[in-house]
Amino acid sequence: MSQQHESVDLVGDETAGYFARAVLIAALTAALAQVSIPLPGTLPPFSLQPFGMFFAGLLLGPLWGGLALALYVLVGVAGAPVFSNGNAGPGYVLVGQGTGGFLIGFLVGAVVSGAVVHRGVEPRDLGDASVPVQIAGLFAAVVVVYAIGVPWLSAVTGLPLPRAAAVMAPYVPLDLLKLGVAVAIVEGGHLVRG
Amino acid sequence: MLSYRPGDTLAHRLDPRSKLLVQFGLAVAVVGYSSWAGLAGATAVGLLAVGTARLSPLAVLRSYRVVLGVLALAPLVAGGALGPPWFRVEPAVRSARLSARVVPVLLVSAAYLTSTPVRETRAAVQRTVPGKPGQLLGVGMALVVRLFPVVLEDVREVRDAIRARGGERRPARTRARLLTVRSLARALDRSDRLAVALRARCFAWNPTLPPLSFARRDYPVLAVGVALTLSPLL
Repeated sequence: MSQQHESVDLVGDETAGYFARAVLIAALTAALAQVSIPLPGTLPPFSLQPFGMFFAGLLLGPLWGGLALALYVLVGVAGAPVFSNGNAGPGYVLVGQGTGGFLIGFLVGAVVSGAVVHRGVEPRDLGDASVPVQIAGLFAAVVVVYAIGVPWLSAVTGLPLPRAAAVMAPYVPLDLLKLGVAVAIVEGGHLVRG
Repeated sequence: MLSYRPGDTLAHRLDPRSKLLVQFGLAVAVVGYSSWAGLAGATAVGLLAVGTARLSPLAVLRSYRVVLGVLALAPLVAGGALGPPWFRVEPAVRSARLSARVVPVLLVSAAYLTSTPVRETRAAVQRTVPGKPGQLLGVGMALVVRLFPVVLEDVREVRDAIRARGGERRPARTRARLLTVRSLARALDRSDRLAVALRARCFAWNPTLPPLSFARRDYPVLAVGVALTLSPLL
């Protein structure tokens, strides 16, 4: 009886830990995309999706945060109903309702906010990042999301750029509110792990 | 909702990489050629793709009705004006033509979704992206697909618990904070357990990959994908 020996290249403990976090943040982003809080009047609903991007950047840094959002987008491409309203598929990422750019924006935004907050590939302790740095990182992420999303919306739907910006404008104050909530969650010590 | 259905159509037998390339190419081509002729050509490709998966185009459009409904608003917004004549036809028609480009991309996407199991897309990603990044993306996709329903259930439980305590009356900011903190804490607990499980099962960089190979029928499809991708340069 012959035996086959192949050397197994094990993944390091630290990498496995970051990877597991990225997987769960991706799953959480998908779950939050399905839940929104209705607001009174004509305001758009308060979507919880950007929190996935915020926490990917804050908790995991640019590399692992980027992996988390890349996994989210890829799983949607593969057919799992993880985009808002249970949408899925490569077509939805490429065009969406003109909203495909926002999905790509979330991915780039997670990388940008992670890079600003952690100043390196390895995530550092969030206690070492001051509140202004955290706000600057998340604000940069929001800017990136709109910088990619609005021209994309304009290109897909044929709306002139200023009009596409006007369509998306009501969402900006809500996103800034979410940014404040995300920083408050970190500062409130709600994420301190034993 | 569109999801994978087992079958033996031509679309089912194609390699996921060829199918993904055609979709990417079609999206590039519709942006490059946004004339009526380009739109007609792209729609023909979309209908052909739906045909190879033996899907009804009308049923596909019905399943995308929310997406299409939102897109239909774009011409109204583009044509609207704040003063007389209140509605201008030319920008509205232009916007309608650009929004219509989305339809063929969605048709091809529907053919892909119904004919490709998630594990094949995972294998395609893992084979296309070399080395450790590809390995992490592949394993990560499989884990996210498995964990998404679990995490969604967690988030819904937290939301119901907040509602049961009269949380509906609190400001959106407070509700968002409560919901996110509790959901995130549960997700992080699960990630700790997942990390332990991965280590216990000897999570390695070099596991055995699912088999995936190009057949003769894939080459014409690949050629179409390459041609569509390069079409704006022609």
